Amino acid sequence: MNRIIILTPLIILLIICIFSLTYLLSGKDPNKPPSALLNKNVPSFESTSLYDTKEKIRTTDIKNKKTLINFFASWCSPCKIEHPLFFEIGKKYPELYLLGFNHKDSNSDAKKYLEDDGNPYDFVGVDADGLIALEFGVFGLPETYLINEEGKIIFKFMGPITKDVLKNEIEPLL
Amino acid sequence: MSSLVGFLSLVFAIGINFYLFLSRYIFKFQKQKFNLFIRFSSLLTLLSFFSLMYAYVVSDFSNYNVFQNSHSNKPLIYKISGTWGNHEGSMLLWLSILSIFSFFFSFTKNIDERFQRLTLIIQSLLHILFGLFIVFTSNPFLVNSILVNEGLGLNPILQDPGLAVHPPILYGGYVGYSIVFSIAIAGLFQNTDDEWLYVAKKWSLISWTFLTGGIALGSYWAYYELGWGGWWFWDPVENISLMPWIAGLALVHSLMMVRGEQAIKKWIVFLSILCFSLSVFGTFLVRSGILTSVHSFAADASRGIFILLIFFIVTGFGFLVFLLKEPKKSNSLNLLFINKVSALVINNILMIIATLTILLGTIYPIIIEVLYNKRISVGGPYFNSTVIPIMIPGFLLMSIAPILSWQTNKINNSKKYVLAFIILSVLVLIQSYFLDFNTWGFVGLLLGFWIILASIIAIFSSYKIKINIKFFKKINPHVAHIGVGIAIIGITCSSVFQNELDFNLNEGDKFDVNGKTVLFEEIETTNQINFQSLRGKFLFDIEKNQSKEIEAGKNYYPVSKMITSEAGILHQWNKDIYFILGDQKNNEWFVKVLINPFVSFIWLGVIIMIYSGLIAVTRR
Repeated sequence: MNRIIILTPLIILLIICIFSLTYLLSGKDPNKPPSALLNKNVPSFESTSLYDTKEKIRTTDIKNKKTLINFFASWCSPCKIEHPLFFEIGKKYPELYLLGFNHKDSNSDAKKYLEDDGNPYDFVGVDADGLIALEFGVFGLPETYLINEEGKIIFKFMGPITKDVLKNEIEPLL
Repeated sequence: MSSLVGFLSLVFAIGINFYLFLSRYIFKFQKQKFNLFIRFSSLLTLLSFFSLMYAYVVSDFSNYNVFQNSHSNKPLIYKISGTWGNHEGSMLLWLSILSIFSFFFSFTKNIDERFQRLTLIIQSLLHILFGLFIVFTSNPFLVNSILVNEGLGLNPILQDPGLAVHPPILYGGYVGYSIVFSIAIAGLFQNTDDEWLYVAKKWSLISWTFLTGGIALGSYWAYYELGWGGWWFWDPVENISLMPWIAGLALVHSLMMVRGEQAIKKWIVFLSILCFSLSVFGTFLVRSGILTSVHSFAADASRGIFILLIFFIVTGFGFLVFLLKEPKKSNSLNLLFINKVSALVINNILMIIATLTILLGTIYPIIIEVLYNKRISVGGPYFNSTVIPIMIPGFLLMSIAPILSWQTNKINNSKKYVLAFIILSVLVLIQSYFLDFNTWGFVGLLLGFWIILASIIAIFSSYKIKINIKFFKKINPHVAHIGVGIAIIGITCSSVFQNELDFNLNEGDKFDVNGKTVLFEEIETTNQINFQSLRGKFLFDIEKNQSKEIEAGKNYYPVSKMITSEAGILHQWNKDIYFILGDQKNNEWFVKVLINPFVSFIWLGVIIMIYSGLIAVTRR
């Protein structure tokens, strides 16, 4: 019994060190908190198409299909870097619904951007005032979310996605 | 050039310490030579630190660290404080203070030579660990690869005279515990007489006094610079400094009370290890960037892992020695229902529970994030509702603890105390009844006044009043406790009875604060050397001739594109009137006025505690 009491400090030390080390090695950035929305229902949204103001998209429209939501803007240079990857995803997974939200952008700039670099999205929604991004808890562009058939957010990524992220984190979920 | 000198002397200092460490096993030294080497390595470490400071003073932007953190437009004092206003420099300061402690310890007279040498060797080991950390992960002497004429500036929130001296004093406390740690470990190994306890007492008092000063300066800075109107936020970084402070307090009390009891000696060793471990752990949490606050300069995983390793080695080694070696058998514990020893034990148990409670709250978010990938934050409500109730019995006890007997349960003049307590309770209750009754307000005021009153009764009934140094040394424990009592009153009043007023004002408007008319004179913008300032000028109590001017506003630092808020505070002995200038909307300025009663009591209490700490160092 006495032994156990004396060993306690060492045990506590070990626990603290293990947790701290795991934290450090997991590459978590305290400035980028994990999304509180993970494994929650996708927030409800309603947006009009970039190309046709009459065409609308709502939360109910993406029910029963896997959806990849990407927040982008023409003024966002990291978005340009990840842009080609969406063509790859679209080609490889034709049944995946690619939804782009154009964040705080002017319509003409956005159209020109998608003309120059190509448009990989099945639907481009306008989020001119950033309210949809607010609902999703977007920190900075670009940000990407994966929604499953039940309408739950199963994956979130901040910053431009890379080939590694696509292969190791997104594809296993598809 | 200064970078080269600094780097070489740092490496050389580490080399000497390595040599000294080996000397225990391979080379044999005479005492004199050994001490000379220790002092030489300390001076080299200081030389390294001052070369960095020199690079800051002359704005030598060929040094990458200076380039990143300084700017030639900065006033001299902030160039100097810029030396430790960044991660690399602050770690060098850490090492320098460690060296200073070793330096002075090597002059200690009348102690066993082998014991002194072993203590210094453990210090050398610590010097090597932290020295290597600096050289490999946080080198402040890297040369800038590009030629530049101007630096990138310093975090403007740190450009404040109070904060310029806060880190060195705080580190004096943190790092001071290294010597206490070394003394305790050396004491275990040598297992000589109880001489080491007296040595440890002196050094732990010095460290504790530094730590108190450092924490108080930090709080005071937060009070007038952050512009939130509070001075303690249970921020993780504050908690980190509070843990070794409380553990250190337990240590100081145990060291003063120990009369050769085996159990207490063991406990002292445990506390000594704990204090330094908590200091290193704090350094780890802040420097690894796990916590985000004004203190974390940059997140870097390799640094974090390195310090975590140091923390693991130091703490693991300490507790392992503690586990394997036991202090020499001697007296057993003379525990009675209420005597000095039992009061000490209760006090220690409470302090350790408080420390562990704070530790749990501080690392809980890390554990949760690792396990559930969720970000939570543990803040004021948790700490207020756990730590404060834990401490209350200790506060009740501390008022009479110094006059308790060693051998018996008898308390001299016990009737006086009971009577005083009852009268005081009634008075405070009546006072609370007429003001808005608040449970915490009642408890806090009662405790604060009780500690002061009981201490005064104890001084008058137990000692002959003489105005000389010896008398002040004798009553010192009571004086320290009076300081705590005064601080508790300040803390209670300023937090429980704080009053907040919000206004939307135009220039020239008059408004009412606490029955006094205040004039919002004008908004003034000026260009200072390294920032632009925006100030709202207020004239307080304009009906009187001696109305006071208060300025509250913001500073904009163009180099780092940061805005800091500057609260305008009117200090009165019984309250602070705290002005915060908010944003302008529809041509109206948002002005928040906080009335903080008796804040000055907190600082007064702390000053008394520091004074007592200093007096106690001189007392054997």
